[in-house]
Amino acid sequence: MSKKHILHGFLVAAFLVLLFGVGLSQPILDIVQGERPQVLEVFSAPPTEKNLRAYEKEMEDTSTIVQTVRPYMQYAHFLGLKDLGKDVLAGRDGWYFYKPDVQFLIEPWSGQEQVLAAIRAFHDTLAAQGIQLLVVPAPGKPSIYPEKFSARVQPGHGAVSRHSREMLARLVEAGVDCVDLFTLFEQNSATTSLYLKQDTHWSPEGMRLAAQEVAADLQRRGWVTKGAVKYMFKPVTIERHGDVLRMARSPQILAAIPPESTTCKQVVREDTGQPYEDSADSDVLVLGDSFLRIYERDEPHAAGFTAHLAQQLGMPLTTIINDGGASTLVRQELSRKPQLLQNKKVVVWEFVERDLRFGTEGWQVVPL
Amino acid sequence: MVFSSYIFLFCFLPLALLGYYLLPGSTTPHGKRNFFLLCISYVFYGWSNPWFILLMLTATAINYFCGKVIATASVESTRKTALVVSIVASLSMLGFFKYFMFFQSNVSLVMGLFGAGPVHWLNIVLPVGISFFVFQGLTYTIDIYRRESPPARNFFDFAAFVSLFPHLVAGPILRYNTIESQFRDRTHTLEKFASGILLFILGFAKKIILANTAGQVASAVFAAEGPGVMDAWFGAAAYAFQIYFDFSAYSDMAIGLGRMFGFEIIKNFNAPYLSDSITDFWRRWHISLSTFLRDYLYIPLGGNQKGSRRTYVNLAIVMLLGGLWHGANWTFIVWGAYHGALLAFERWRGKHSVYERFPRPFRIAITFVLVLFSWVLFRADTISEAGRYFAAMFGLMDPQPGSALLAGEIYTQGRLALMLVCGLLAVQPLQAYDWAKEVTWGKVAMVLPLFGLALATMFVEAFNPFLYFQF
Amino acid sequence: MGRALNWRTLRVALLCLGIGVFASCSKGPASDVDDKVTTLGDTEVTAQLEEIKGEFADQTNYDYAFVMKYKVLKVHRGKLDTDTIYVGHYNPLTPRATVADERVKDVGGTLKKFRVGDIHRMALAAPMDDFFMGGIINRYFDEYKGPVYWAHWTNPGVKP
Repeated sequence: MSKKHILHGFLVAAFLVLLFGVGLSQPILDIVQGERPQVLEVFSAPPTEKNLRAYEKEMEDTSTIVQTVRPYMQYAHFLGLKDLGKDVLAGRDGWYFYKPDVQFLIEPWSGQEQVLAAIRAFHDTLAAQGIQLLVVPAPGKPSIYPEKFSARVQPGHGAVSRHSREMLARLVEAGVDCVDLFTLFEQNSATTSLYLKQDTHWSPEGMRLAAQEVAADLQRRGWVTKGAVKYMFKPVTIERHGDVLRMARSPQILAAIPPESTTCKQVVREDTGQPYEDSADSDVLVLGDSFLRIYERDEPHAAGFTAHLAQQLGMPLTTIINDGGASTLVRQELSRKPQLLQNKKVVVWEFVERDLRFGTEGWQVVPL
Repeated sequence: MVFSSYIFLFCFLPLALLGYYLLPGSTTPHGKRNFFLLCISYVFYGWSNPWFILLMLTATAINYFCGKVIATASVESTRKTALVVSIVASLSMLGFFKYFMFFQSNVSLVMGLFGAGPVHWLNIVLPVGISFFVFQGLTYTIDIYRRESPPARNFFDFAAFVSLFPHLVAGPILRYNTIESQFRDRTHTLEKFASGILLFILGFAKKIILANTAGQVASAVFAAEGPGVMDAWFGAAAYAFQIYFDFSAYSDMAIGLGRMFGFEIIKNFNAPYLSDSITDFWRRWHISLSTFLRDYLYIPLGGNQKGSRRTYVNLAIVMLLGGLWHGANWTFIVWGAYHGALLAFERWRGKHSVYERFPRPFRIAITFVLVLFSWVLFRADTISEAGRYFAAMFGLMDPQPGSALLAGEIYTQGRLALMLVCGLLAVQPLQAYDWAKEVTWGKVAMVLPLFGLALATMFVEAFNPFLYFQF
Repeated sequence: MGRALNWRTLRVALLCLGIGVFASCSKGPASDVDDKVTTLGDTEVTAQLEEIKGEFADQTNYDYAFVMKYKVLKVHRGKLDTDTIYVGHYNPLTPRATVADERVKDVGGTLKKFRVGDIHRMALAAPMDDFFMGGIINRYFDEYKGPVYWAHWTNPGVKP
């Protein structure tokens, strides 16, 4: 056998071993685990375009080799290219951003009419029942800290969240009452860190600032009078990796970056010493997304937006919280639970600004 | 099915190779293997949508039988009629499936001008690769008519030529007279197989590592509401790299796969961004398309044999149709017209560019910029979007408040490094096609880790489109 | 050109390997009954998945439940007045065996994927909102106002 043949044979063998090795390893693993090889699934459904795409995606997503290699390769991409996958963008000084948050600020958006129609319909339905609606769009992290994402943004930059501000103006024009957290946060962003570095959400300070503003707004409008329940604060420090970092789906990346430490103020009833709890009988119903969930239903519990709003208002609140679903899903849930609207005077509706464009199931008009 | 996918690499390709080389000998040289290739090519094609198989089969049958008539008929009028039937049937199919929706939307537009509502007669899904297999089918009947090649031995050989999966959906466009002999007789050697692997791996790595990275930058900039001047130029350059490394990678993989199955497929790119004029660019970019258009459209129109004015008209027609071939959209028509105008202008100057006296690096740079403008048309979804992008490139548009954030997304350390690699590779003359002809230990030592790296990168990439699949 | 390939031995070896792999795949179907499906929730049915409306949301960063339409073939436990039910499944793109997480613990099963036409044996409870406090994608919201069941446990089923 000539040297050339050895060379050619080696390359061919290496290539085929890789192809056949990966290709055969999965069915063999499936069989070893006592399962029907997934590759045969292609015969279990009619070969329609949809079924074939689903099969193809599933083959890759569930491949043991892909699942094993992916986190390491993501880590290598992170080290070499600062690339954290499709959902995450690395900012500056250890700040990480959720890609749709940034996309919402950069890209055009034309869904204003749908949003306006849905919010107005909800407003009108509540008004017919004598209930006030207060809309609270939560600024996304890059709206308030664009300089932590791009060096091109100079200190003292103007507002970058054009779509949200225009939407706020249109809502006010349409007679919908809103809280402008954008201006408030921009005024306070230099002195206080209002967002977590590794997370999409606000920091305990940002959250508390928002809760104070909403409480003050509700009282200013005379919609809510302060209740008699007294709450006190219990400081709790939590340490965790933010949701943006976890979206990279690489334990190696999490191991390489220290978790973020945050001190929260847990809201505790003065009379019982028990952490804050919602009440279905409240005058105030709060609808919202994960900006309400953080610190409240996650650790340390009872330290999130609703607990702090309740502390400010001196009364427990009723809540419907739905991750990513504040555009339509919370109203659908409310529609399924009409009893939650009984005796209500005010509905506070929070949603993160990116959900104007990316909200799950869009902005449907939901009859109550 | 795309080459850079798990299903292709680890299921389809191993099974295709296994089946092909396990087939016992046949009395007809390569008869069984051609038939096997036909079957797997139909599976490959039907994978995107099984119903499309019927369309390809119909187009194949019409051209095969027309070819048979052309080859056997002794009367010239019969031969001509069969050719006309083949051309009309093929182009009607292409016209209907590719351009009906474009026609419908334009009718709606015109109706709108007169206050009428939009029309919705039909909703046609564009079959993948139709532009390629229709053109390839046409080369068959035209080549037989011109007596440049004999008819296929049988229907299966011809169907295998039309559907041959390596080049089926994104070329290179094979001309029957250049490959028909390989369906009768081709060799399978370790050397050829190994060379095919080298080329396939290079193409795969180009696609996954370079084209996809450049594509992410281009997508971010083209999606932005108001990119700044520098961002817009950077985005256009990123798209120029994406389309080159994507399309040339596909061609490399196609040629590499062809070699694994014993075929020699023609070179499709030759360092196009080293062109020093638009005329030169079209000698180097998508060579199989430009030679197809030259031999099957430009020359039959009269080429340059009917006076200079007619030559310019012919060039304009060819490039306009070439633009339309790429897609049913005004952007492609304007793209073709733009290239046609530049080519006609250079033809008027005796195939010389207006900047021919500049040093070569400047000529290359100016040509690249001229091509860059055309890529903006190619990438934009509408003419107005292209206009908006040009305005951004020339600072005629106020940047939007959020556009400052774009810099944070596109000028990351990793993307800048990979864009630099793209730039360097795009302007070096050695092409993968030539590099892979000879296998050495050094090349093997380079491509095997590269293959591993590209595969692992593919596992983490969510952005993995193939641009030419839409054509 | 190099020497022609002669892979006769390889052919035989690979053919044997292929036959071996496929022969070992012929396992009988697993049982649809286990102690979870027979005890969780208050209703247990065998039902055919009649419709998945639209695509599942590919939101890997959010947990959600997705409501699907079923035709009931047999009621094993509990009472049903209708043969069409609407069932919410948690994170439907995840195999049931690994779907439970810190927030939603009482879900699982052996079903790997949801496919229209398949038969499932499920342990259910209603109304869904009492058991799942999160995003519910219910594309029947406008057309159906009755109870939506929460799927605690889902196994591949067999036609009764």
